[in-house]
Amino acid sequence: MEKAKVSAFQMFVLIVLFEMGSAILLGLGSQAKQDAWIAILFGLGGGVIVFFIYYRLYMYYPDLPLTSYLQKIVGKWPGRFIGFLYIVYFMYQASRILRDFGELLATTIYNNTPLFVINTLMIVTIIYAMHKGFEVLARVGEIFFGIIYLTAILGMLLIVFSGLIHLENLKPILENGLKPVIKTFLRETITFPYGEMIVFTMVLPFFNDKKKVKIVCLGGMILAGINITITTIVNIAVLGVGLFHRATFPLLSTVGRIQIADFIERLDVLFMLYLIIAGFFKIAIYFYAAVAGAADIFQIKNQRKLGFPIGLIVLFGSITIASNIAEFIQEGSMIVPFYLSWPFQIIIPFILLIIAFLRNRKKKTSPA
Amino acid sequence: MKKWVKVILLIGLSVPILTACWNQKELTDLAFVMALGIDKGEDDLYHVSFQLVNPGNVSSGQNGGGQGLPIAVYKSTGRTMTEAARNATKKVSRRLYYAHTNVVVISEEVARERTQFLNLLDSFARDPEFRTTTEILIARGASAEEIVTTLTILDKLPVSKITKEIKSTEAMLGENFSITIDDLIDGIVGSGKEPVLNGYQLIGMKEEANKAVNLQKTTTDAFLAADGLAVFKDGALIDWIESKKSRGVLWVLDKAKSTSITLKWKGKKNALVFAPIRSKTKVSTILKHGKPVINIKIENEGWLSEANTAIDLIDPKTIGKIEKLTEKAIKKEVQISVKEAKRLKCDIFGFGDVVHKENPDLWKKLERDWNNYFADLEVNVKVDSYLRREGVRTNPFWSDINK
Repeated sequence: MEKAKVSAFQMFVLIVLFEMGSAILLGLGSQAKQDAWIAILFGLGGGVIVFFIYYRLYMYYPDLPLTSYLQKIVGKWPGRFIGFLYIVYFMYQASRILRDFGELLATTIYNNTPLFVINTLMIVTIIYAMHKGFEVLARVGEIFFGIIYLTAILGMLLIVFSGLIHLENLKPILENGLKPVIKTFLRETITFPYGEMIVFTMVLPFFNDKKKVKIVCLGGMILAGINITITTIVNIAVLGVGLFHRATFPLLSTVGRIQIADFIERLDVLFMLYLIIAGFFKIAIYFYAAVAGAADIFQIKNQRKLGFPIGLIVLFGSITIASNIAEFIQEGSMIVPFYLSWPFQIIIPFILLIIAFLRNRKKKTSPA
Repeated sequence: MKKWVKVILLIGLSVPILTACWNQKELTDLAFVMALGIDKGEDDLYHVSFQLVNPGNVSSGQNGGGQGLPIAVYKSTGRTMTEAARNATKKVSRRLYYAHTNVVVISEEVARERTQFLNLLDSFARDPEFRTTTEILIARGASAEEIVTTLTILDKLPVSKITKEIKSTEAMLGENFSITIDDLIDGIVGSGKEPVLNGYQLIGMKEEANKAVNLQKTTTDAFLAADGLAVFKDGALIDWIESKKSRGVLWVLDKAKSTSITLKWKGKKNALVFAPIRSKTKVSTILKHGKPVINIKIENEGWLSEANTAIDLIDPKTIGKIEKLTEKAIKKEVQISVKEAKRLKCDIFGFGDVVHKENPDLWKKLERDWNNYFADLEVNVKVDSYLRREGVRTNPFWSDINK
């Protein structure tokens, strides 16, 4: 495993960037119509509970990443097998987000550029970042965090001053009762983006201040959750429920509405800036987790060597997982939550926690 | 030595990537489409007029613009918008570029036919190049082509005349207001609010409108003017609300900012003019005997811009009376518009949305037949006007000459 040390603030920044990532771009929770923001808040609540599973596991093995303590908990070979599944999962997720990102650029500004080219450029940058190690990624995060916040605040101010916000669009609250909200919460918002904190089990050992892990992670999740909720509320308030539901990228449509004094308009570039930065971090972190996990399981000393092969798999994966955007979205909303997110983010960690709890209790109750 | 090779190789490799010119478009290869005019031909095709800007002739400043016309209009036909746009490339040497399209003019004929009209809209909403802030207009008493080909005198670009004009009417008169494609589609989709669009007329000698000679006179032979609101129901134009009756629509939709309200004073007509400077409208609903009742509350403040009669403006009681008169006048305007909309059985005010937001359960029952229900809806209007200032005179000179 790489020897890296990451400070509390850097970790916080990475979590915020990661969690906001693509969740802000897509119409998260749009199944719940105007109550999408409630579903997102529910998701945050659920995500915090799920995070405590990861946190307990971390407390048992503070110096090991997920793939290593898997082997301790369920035994060497079964642990390796599950760890391998996790690596595939991380790679798949990295591919999905890479596709998301490329698809967005291809539909909005790079209409004639092949998806493959856009994705290649991104993955090459990410492989390079991986090559430089996790510390570098964290430091880059610090710089971009500021930029993202500046663009976000600027964008928000412009939207407010354009007089675009019509909060009455949020009404009626809970029109069809809690059912659609809960459904959206279980299907979507708990696993995406909050459940994705599972990736951080791979990098938590880098944390230099063990005591602060809980507060930093929760703080990052909550800040990201609030940002996503505010963005969703703004999207609905600006676009109205119908358009929020219909738009492929609601935030892009919202930003496109900005029009002040006849010259501050067409600010899609703010959105693109955010998109590229956040996309980069989200893919990079998933990618890093896959590489670190593979190095750990296959006991490869220099994990940098794995950058190119895994990068290539992620790149080709991003092109081949779906042949068109409809298939891609269908896959993301029907298959991923039930067959990937729930098992990998919630069920397996929960079982692990129970086994770890029993094992560790045994140790305590029967001292040698 | 080896390091140098690497560095040079790296720089060499990044050159083709960093130029970012995969599908670069030179400015001189683009034709900026400023406005689109869509007509219906006898062949059931869309006849689309593309108003392109002629950049050299628009630039202002020390050197002045060129001698030619600021715009050029090309026409093409097609079964769909995309087909028409692609067919146009046979006639235009440059690539049509839609990112700066500010106005789409649709002829009344097209707007009256549901499928023809609706078939247009998705192409505007879906194309990433097209901006959703684009204004949509209905050509009234003229073809869309005529509107798009008309030259204008103050603003070199006819499009900026149209968009600025709509904004200034919205701000100063309140009979037309800015309506974008998104608003239109939202209105068509939702059952609680029907959309309206601005009508646009070509007044004067139509055949002169597209000639440069038209611009040599101070009173141009033909000019563009906003006129009326087109009312849509079930995705097709059904009727017009005339300018006189349309102000009430803007009051209800909370779009009215300023306007002029002419009042009668002690038997004298056109005696006083009240000019609001800001206004706020709130629409709410309550249940009365199980039926929804709409309450419109309009609050505005303004100043007295004319007093053409002997009147004691120093007396606060007079001010109170003027306020009462204004309230009555505005209330009447709103009632006229509401009556007009009820006649058309078309809820252009979004009362349905208000009921939906306030009382979702009731809305579910009424939703299907809302427009008919709307025709018998009880609508109460309450206006609060405040006359704050009287300009730079106290009593008008009329008070002195009649002595």
